[in-house]
Amino acid sequence: MATRIFDEKYPGQPFVQTDNSLESRKEMSGKFLGIYNDKVSQRFWQIAGILGVLFGIGLLGYFWKIFMTKDPGDFGYYAALFSFLMTTSAGAPMVAIGPRVANAHWRRSISRVAEIWTLIGTMNLIVFLPLLWVMPSLDNGRRSLWFYWEAKGDWWFPFLIKFSGHIWTTVSILTLIVLGLAILWVSVMPDLALVRDHAPDGWRKKWATRLARGWKGSSWQWNWQRHRMGALGALYFMMLILTHFFISTEFLMVHVPGWIDSLYPITHAHNALQGGVATVVLTMFIVSRIGPYRHYITLDQFHGLGKLLLALSLLWFWFWFCSFMIFWYGKKPSEQAILKLFVHGPYLPVFIAEFLFVFFIPWWTMVWNPVRRSVWGPAIIAGSVLIGTLLDRVRMYVSSWDVLGISGDKLAANGGQFSSEYPREMMLNMTILNDPAFDRITIIKDFEGLAVPVSAVLPTMIDGVIILGFISGAVFLYMMATRLIPVINIWEQKELLLYNAEVQYHRAKVKVMGKPR
Amino acid sequence: MAKRSVLGLYIEEDSAADALDHLRDAGFQDHEYEILTGTPYPEGTFGEAEPQHHLYRWPIFGALTGFTISLFYTSITQAAYPILTGGKPVLAIPAMMVILYELTMLGAVIFTIIGIIFESRLPRFFMGAYSEKITEGYIGVTVTTEEDRTDKAEEALKKAGIDGEIIRGWE
Repeated sequence: MATRIFDEKYPGQPFVQTDNSLESRKEMSGKFLGIYNDKVSQRFWQIAGILGVLFGIGLLGYFWKIFMTKDPGDFGYYAALFSFLMTTSAGAPMVAIGPRVANAHWRRSISRVAEIWTLIGTMNLIVFLPLLWVMPSLDNGRRSLWFYWEAKGDWWFPFLIKFSGHIWTTVSILTLIVLGLAILWVSVMPDLALVRDHAPDGWRKKWATRLARGWKGSSWQWNWQRHRMGALGALYFMMLILTHFFISTEFLMVHVPGWIDSLYPITHAHNALQGGVATVVLTMFIVSRIGPYRHYITLDQFHGLGKLLLALSLLWFWFWFCSFMIFWYGKKPSEQAILKLFVHGPYLPVFIAEFLFVFFIPWWTMVWNPVRRSVWGPAIIAGSVLIGTLLDRVRMYVSSWDVLGISGDKLAANGGQFSSEYPREMMLNMTILNDPAFDRITIIKDFEGLAVPVSAVLPTMIDGVIILGFISGAVFLYMMATRLIPVINIWEQKELLLYNAEVQYHRAKVKVMGKPR
Repeated sequence: MAKRSVLGLYIEEDSAADALDHLRDAGFQDHEYEILTGTPYPEGTFGEAEPQHHLYRWPIFGALTGFTISLFYTSITQAAYPILTGGKPVLAIPAMMVILYELTMLGAVIFTIIGIIFESRLPRFFMGAYSEKITEGYIGVTVTTEEDRTDKAEEALKKAGIDGEIIRGWE
């Protein structure tokens, strides 16, 4: 074994010498602080400026959409954007959380790259809020996870019952955002302490001092930090799954009558993991190849995430096929209608493109070692996955919200009241009987089939502006966040000095990596 | 009596570990001294006592609270409005599962965050004796004790071979 016996103090103990000298620690702190303190290039500000302007225009489109759009069916692209942002930015922190729990060393230089995406959660909340107004309450008889009855009592009780879906989804998203920000804060504290102690005077030092909250690096604080990150990470993962469960059911599936698929919520959550990994791969490519971190984000990180991206892309097919198979073999009228709506109907071109981008291209490229074991390969494929994910969200949300719009038209024509005809699409063309006991529609029979829209809904200019604006806004906010938060997790990099050694193994030099317990 | 803290800086891990040995020999208790580093060393590297915490109790307590509330909430609403659905019992557990899960989770999350804040004792207004060299890579040993014992602490710290001078601060 390539170890040597340590000195007389610990006789007989095998020992591998790591390069954790004071000079190494100082050098590493100095290097990262140097990059952090360097003025960013003109190009950075030019790109940020363009993205900021696009974000501003997107915000104008956002207000236009809120105040000028009446038909809920016109919010399909908007809902798709919200879901896309939740799928990518909210999934990205899992790249830091998962490998950290598994003690994978390769994640050290990219964990912060992933964690900064938690900040975009606040923007997702802004995008989400108008959907609360657009989404019908439960008293119009729409499908929902939640029970509804005409509750009596103070204003708040009927309100709680009518808006159960709205309330619980909002609580879930808020909790996810708070957890994400907490993870980022806990993780960044030691690095902000470094900035507090060594950065030149200025706004960054002031903010670092405030946010570092008296961090001094005691064993107790480190121990606490580890426990906090573990607990918060686990809770974030659980909330991510739950949030996607709510979004996919309350804001998507309920619009389409007959769409009964217990697998879809977890498919939605899986998409978030795939989209999150793709987001991080693309971010780390930009940070390392265009930004100054080429020496720290290397082939190891791209290879590690490339394998994960391949696995998640294969899993995409598994989820999709499992759902597809049920509808395909079931062949009930409603199931045929679902397939027509989502697969071979008006959205067929979108489905084909999505299938290629999100599964087929990643599969047939990433299986090859030279592509997977490269920097460019995973980055290009991550771009492909993100395009495919956006198309997936457009296909699912636009078509579903279109059905909601059609149902809404019928509801409006009927004075906002239920009738035996209402709404044929929404209730799956079922004959509805009134329950004599509760005067509620509870018994459903006689499936006739769902009328599927004959043409796809195309985006309006406002839709395009909002989608472009908010995606630009996410990148813009990320870029601004990097002005305060070090993009590389400096303390984790320094920790690696404790566990990393190169030793002679017979006639070869090998890397020995230790693991903290 | 007011407490004061003193800090000695070391270059090598073994020197810092020796300093703790000297402090123990001089009669200082585990809670009176701590190691300051810019890197999370494995617990026990310097022979220091392993920090004790009770964080795990918070999510368990939160989850139990959330579960109890959700059980009460879902049961009472179902009992209050006995709608028969599909011939199923009025108090149907499968229908309660989502709310049970979410409120259990929510309780765990909220209590964990409260627990983290509570047990972290945030915000910390006084850092005591501290040096900016810690984040640079030096290893610090800080002793927080009564004013009349600081000389003894300084002596123990120096015995292990500090780098530079002793740093003093209030706690």
